Amino acid sequence: MTIPAVERSADGAATAALELRGVDKAFGPAVALDGVDLSVARGELVTLLGPSGSGKTTLLRIVVGFESPTAGRVILRGQEISRMTPAERDVGMVFQHYALFPHMTVADNVGYGLKVRRRSRAERERRVAEVLELLRMSGYERRYPRELSGGQQQRVALGRALAYDPEIVLMDEPLGALDRALRTEMEQEIRRIHRDLGATILYVTHDQQEALALSDRIAIMRAGRIVGEGTPDELYERPPSAFVASFFANASLLTVDSYELEPGGTADVRCNGQRLSCAAPGLSPGDDGVLAVRRRSLRRAGEARSLRLAGVVAEVLRLGDDRQVTVDVPGAGRIVALLAAWESGDLRLGMRLELFVAWDQAVLVTAD
Amino acid sequence: MSDRLVHVLGIVVAALVVTILLAPVLLTAVLSLSSDSYFTFPPDSWGLRQYREVLGDARWASAVSYSFELAVPVALLSVAIAVPTAFAIGRSRLPGRHAIYAGGLAGIVVPISAFAIALYGVFAELGLHGTYVGLVLANTVLAVPVVLIVVTAAMARVPVELELAAMAAGASRRRAWLGITTRLLLPSIVAGGVLAFVTSFDEVVLIVFLGGVDQTTLPKAILDSARFGVSPVITAVSTLLMLGTSAVAIAAVGLARRRR
Repeated sequence: MTIPAVERSADGAATAALELRGVDKAFGPAVALDGVDLSVARGELVTLLGPSGSGKTTLLRIVVGFESPTAGRVILRGQEISRMTPAERDVGMVFQHYALFPHMTVADNVGYGLKVRRRSRAERERRVAEVLELLRMSGYERRYPRELSGGQQQRVALGRALAYDPEIVLMDEPLGALDRALRTEMEQEIRRIHRDLGATILYVTHDQQEALALSDRIAIMRAGRIVGEGTPDELYERPPSAFVASFFANASLLTVDSYELEPGGTADVRCNGQRLSCAAPGLSPGDDGVLAVRRRSLRRAGEARSLRLAGVVAEVLRLGDDRQVTVDVPGAGRIVALLAAWESGDLRLGMRLELFVAWDQAVLVTAD
Repeated sequence: MSDRLVHVLGIVVAALVVTILLAPVLLTAVLSLSSDSYFTFPPDSWGLRQYREVLGDARWASAVSYSFELAVPVALLSVAIAVPTAFAIGRSRLPGRHAIYAGGLAGIVVPISAFAIALYGVFAELGLHGTYVGLVLANTVLAVPVVLIVVTAAMARVPVELELAAMAAGASRRRAWLGITTRLLLPSIVAGGVLAFVTSFDEVVLIVFLGGVDQTTLPKAILDSARFGVSPVITAVSTLLMLGTSAVAIAAVGLARRRR
């Protein structure tokens, strides 16, 4: 089967391992994906982050070839693969529930892709040993999956997807079945393996902490569209929309009385009866604006150029070193603040509380 | 009522049911050890006389061998039909796959005498009445549901992700189905085949309706022998039949349970 190579643009598109162009997917009348564009560079770990039902798993299934797109193109290393079978695509996949072959040993599971590719026995053995070494699973070659713990099974599943060195490894919530402590450990493992091998990885999760810990870049999905894309820092500091601000950065959204855009991506905003100047990335004139304020940027003491928010305490939660306080601010909305416990002072339900946020910590975003 | 009482009552009821069901079986087995030439209870003397008579009589041997001649191809044919059907039902998006499943089970849902009468008419039309091929086909219709039930149930427990994982790793769909799913289903497929064999081996209604005079299976021979003169020999034949089929069925179930 020969597939015409897709023309490569001069601006370095040739270095993209995976490119999605205008991918749509409809199941009958239900739209699962709506014009998705995404590019993953070689050696990059990109996370698709979104609530359940946002289309991230469907997108992954289209890349691996379990589903075909209704419209649009999937391009892997310059070749259009949209109509190929999964076997023709040279991808690796890690599933949430491991999906190891129960009748095969660890070595046979890891070597499966090589066997299918008709590699010699010697090469298979060498490569399996290498991969198990990398995964710190040497010595488990002859075990069966049922004899392994969940974390070990997931390592074997990683090994099976990596052993034949595919163009891209797809991971569908691979840590979803593990408990919290193990998840943190495996996050570091995936990070380390990604670094050591230089593997290209497209990772799906609904857990923002996991996305933050792992990703070079994050694409945030909502209702079948990518609604925000960037490095963890970019998305966290300058969310492009209210949804991204609240879903990804846990920001509170405050009602804005009016605003005026200024040159240089800032805005002059009237909020809660005060004027402030703050960043306004991705806002076009005429958009409805809301003010996003992250939990940690709120303080009990105000400095110059701070927005003052006064209201009634609706909830107080102890979270480790912090207290999370929910305050209803009349005319602005409900805000959630994370205050260091040792300096949070007296906090009681129903009390009046004043909180301050520095202007440069607030972001005006489109209310989507 | 306390849980304990319910528990004890449950055991008593279960024991009673098992005893009532098994009593005739045990009685038959006991009677088969009689040395009398006619039925008496309790027997006047004990011995293996009935078994010697069975083994010495060529009619019984030929009935057993004819039962095998039917049951083996029926089992193979049932597996050959039921396994691909199970894949169509469990692993495809084929429209009407639920109707296929319902249709596949018809053989054990329709009352067997009604089925036999219907086939009688059809076979008369097609010239299949009293033929070996006709009997194999008729028994297969009865045996397919057994295999289908066992294999679809087992397939539901094999995660689809295993096939997807194989295909993502580079296997064709055929290779994933054969090398992974079918391989994992193998114990259940063998178990289903054995149960199909037993279904055909034990079958007595279809052979009475559709069989010719020279087509005598073991159950038919037992029936004939009971009809034309009561001899204690049939207790030995029945006991052997029960032992044989139970051994095979237990082996099949054990096989299906292994490697879970």
